[in-house]
Amino acid sequence: MKLKKYLTLTRAGIIESLQFRLATVVMVIGNILYLIVVYFLWKAIYASSGTDIVNGMTFSDTLIYLVLATALFNFMEMYTVWEIGRSIQSGKIVLDLLKPIEYRRYLFWSYSGSFITQFFFTFLPTFIIVAAVTHGAIHLGLNLLFFVISVVMAVSINYSIDFLVGTICLYTESIWGINIMKQVIVLLLSGATIPIAFFPEPLKTIVYYLPFQSIYNAPLSILLDGTPQPQTVLVTLGTQLLWCIVMMILSRLFWKISLRQITVNGG
Amino acid sequence: MSPIIEIKNVTKEFKVLNRREGLRGSLKDLFSRDYRTVRAVDNISMDIEQGEIVGYLGPNGAGKSTTIKMMTGVLEPTSGEILVGGNVPYQNRTKNAQEIGVVFGQRSQLWWALPLVESFRLLKDIYQISDADYDNMLALYQSLVDIEPLLHKPVRQMSLGQRTLSDILAAFLHDPKIVFLDEPTIGLDVSMKSKIRTLIHALNREKKTTVILTTHDMGDVDALCRRIVIIDKGKMLYDNDIEHLKGFFGSYRTLKIRVDGDLKTQADVIQNALRDFSVSADDEWISILVDEEKAKVIDVLGQLQRSFSLRDMQLEEISTEEVIKKIYEEGVQ
Amino acid sequence: MKRKGLGFYFRIYCKILAQDLKSKMSYRADFIISTIGMIFTNISGFISFWILFRSFPSINGWSYYEMLFLYGFSLVSLTPVQCFFDNNWSLRQYVYSGDFIKYCFRPINLFFYYQSEVFDIKGLGQLAFGIGTLAYSWAKIGLAFTPLMLLKMIVFLITASLIMIALQNAAAATCFWIQNSFYVLDLAFRFKDYAKYPITIFSPVFRFIFTFVMPIAFIAYYPSLVILRPDEVPLLSWLSPVFGVVFFLISYRIWMYGATKYSGTGS
Repeated sequence: MKLKKYLTLTRAGIIESLQFRLATVVMVIGNILYLIVVYFLWKAIYASSGTDIVNGMTFSDTLIYLVLATALFNFMEMYTVWEIGRSIQSGKIVLDLLKPIEYRRYLFWSYSGSFITQFFFTFLPTFIIVAAVTHGAIHLGLNLLFFVISVVMAVSINYSIDFLVGTICLYTESIWGINIMKQVIVLLLSGATIPIAFFPEPLKTIVYYLPFQSIYNAPLSILLDGTPQPQTVLVTLGTQLLWCIVMMILSRLFWKISLRQITVNGG
Repeated sequence: MSPIIEIKNVTKEFKVLNRREGLRGSLKDLFSRDYRTVRAVDNISMDIEQGEIVGYLGPNGAGKSTTIKMMTGVLEPTSGEILVGGNVPYQNRTKNAQEIGVVFGQRSQLWWALPLVESFRLLKDIYQISDADYDNMLALYQSLVDIEPLLHKPVRQMSLGQRTLSDILAAFLHDPKIVFLDEPTIGLDVSMKSKIRTLIHALNREKKTTVILTTHDMGDVDALCRRIVIIDKGKMLYDNDIEHLKGFFGSYRTLKIRVDGDLKTQADVIQNALRDFSVSADDEWISILVDEEKAKVIDVLGQLQRSFSLRDMQLEEISTEEVIKKIYEEGVQ
Repeated sequence: MKRKGLGFYFRIYCKILAQDLKSKMSYRADFIISTIGMIFTNISGFISFWILFRSFPSINGWSYYEMLFLYGFSLVSLTPVQCFFDNNWSLRQYVYSGDFIKYCFRPINLFFYYQSEVFDIKGLGQLAFGIGTLAYSWAKIGLAFTPLMLLKMIVFLITASLIMIALQNAAAATCFWIQNSFYVLDLAFRFKDYAKYPITIFSPVFRFIFTFVMPIAFIAYYPSLVILRPDEVPLLSWLSPVFGVVFFLISYRIWMYGATKYSGTGS
């Protein structure tokens, strides 16, 4: 069966990620710490603004948004650029390319095990705690389904971007530099660190035309929208789908071209 | 004069995590862990004199590296005493480091991006080598191997052989009393191997440096070591002259024959006929290790001639390789 | 054997540094890309800061420029850890692969030898940003500029640096005990992001925690009070240089203890 070889990779990934028990604990501590800082910082900001609603978001909206953005980040961060960069530098890439699975898929499915552990160990608990603490500020209805669909597309867009950037490592040894640039741009422009609603007007418009906001801002705004209008949901999901396809094509194309160039040059 | 290295009843134990298998096992490991103690080195004692070259042998995982790590001060023995040049290495690691040189496996200790000569200059400062000593050493190196072309080449651009050579030179640079060489010829071609053996031999002779050599290559042992120490599963099996070792197997000789047909299949047939002796085959010869206490070689040959048409034959004394192999397999009687 | 005093170590450091810079020059593209990445990180930091605080004249009694001062202070105090202790990030790989053992065979201080191997020149870009921010906010707040102030500034910047260095050393050293210490190090690294907010925004419990349990508040807040609010300097601020030195020494001990416990992989 075809799916089976991918699921084997998933299973191996789960086993591997479970072996680092302390790492999991530390990551949870780190997230709690971050959340504490975020909580008090935004509390101070809301307190000094004098109003309950800033840029159309209440304090609990902002909090839920940022907490879940962090949980999503832990979930989606696959260190793809590092992985590709290191394989290239160590020459391991040659072995990976010889495997009977396309490299782009191989890498994704190797990591997919961590998706599952991350989902159960960090995302789900965070979600439940936030939902409980904010007393129903998260509307539990059809929006959950849209949220899940949206997250799946977000994962795909994020992976495509990572893979696209990772491909650049075929040309340069500077993995750190490449990765940090990608990370900084994605985190800022996707609304992962500050909700896009807070961005000043011209910047907001520009950001909406870029693929990054489809990664964090889109799923989270769908989730937080208690009374979703079919039209807004459709537009958000449609935009995501569009970026999903565009980025996938771009990343595949770039990989193909780069690989051909490299093999021709014998680099 | 007291020995340069004294090891008395040294034991080293490690705690190792037992990992469970499968997905369920990993989940269990998350919540409870199960350790067992492994004795990597078990009650070893030996003395090594200044200027000796000692071959330290044993199969993979026998405890060789662990012993060397204890002698270099990286590991502390669980029990027992080690003195290296009068120091307890674990307690005076830096002081000990001044007196020893180490080449560890294929891990280069040189600065990767720098030309060799820059690495040498840094080592000169770190080991506080005087200008005169440094110049003498480089002159000696130049007389032994042609280092001039290596000196200005960054280490990362060197071939494995050149890098190993450079690492060995770097280990001898501060004229240490002892040099530890862990598999120095691994992965090298025949001519590089011989070049490196000659170099080690010459440096040992010139500088009276004690050399502790671990290797799987019996060519290294034959070329360099008079004394060998063998350890397996942490226990010492043998510590004496190499000649003495061969004495254990003095009654053994290797009979090599060539017959018609595929050598591998013929070797199996012969093995069935001569159940007392071990028979093996390579591309050219079928080798039969004959114990002359059980049967004379000439009789074996006669027996073979009756059933096979022999095209060629050779008779050899037992090689170090075969002795070591027999010891790993059967131990010393 | 000759005694190895401070002079010896200083000379060795300079020589290794010079060699390291030479070899960096042989990877010029990497250097340029990394520098751009560093500049990106800083610019994005400023944009985030600006988006967050532009619409509020003050947060919790802290004016915009005072917040900016804290921000600049944390940037400068992070420079030494970035420049001189960056090899900590590779420690886990050296330990994991067993290559760490090569550092154990030299007759000099192990910690020194290990850290000396990498000098991260990118940190200097951050230093420039930090000094610029400090000078700008210094002028905007209208603080006096006297030699004494400058001296205080330098002393307390060094203090703050020592604390960040201590945190990072201790975090990196965890890899001697646990396999995947990346998360611990990453957590310590994220501390720097939390350090730039005034501790008064937190509730008393967390103020206590961030002062005594996880001394984040010492990275920027307490030391900078000496300059920023000279009339209301708490005792903790004056004590922070002592804490800095003590923390550094403790972290050094932990690091060295871990290193001597280290056994290398393989038998």
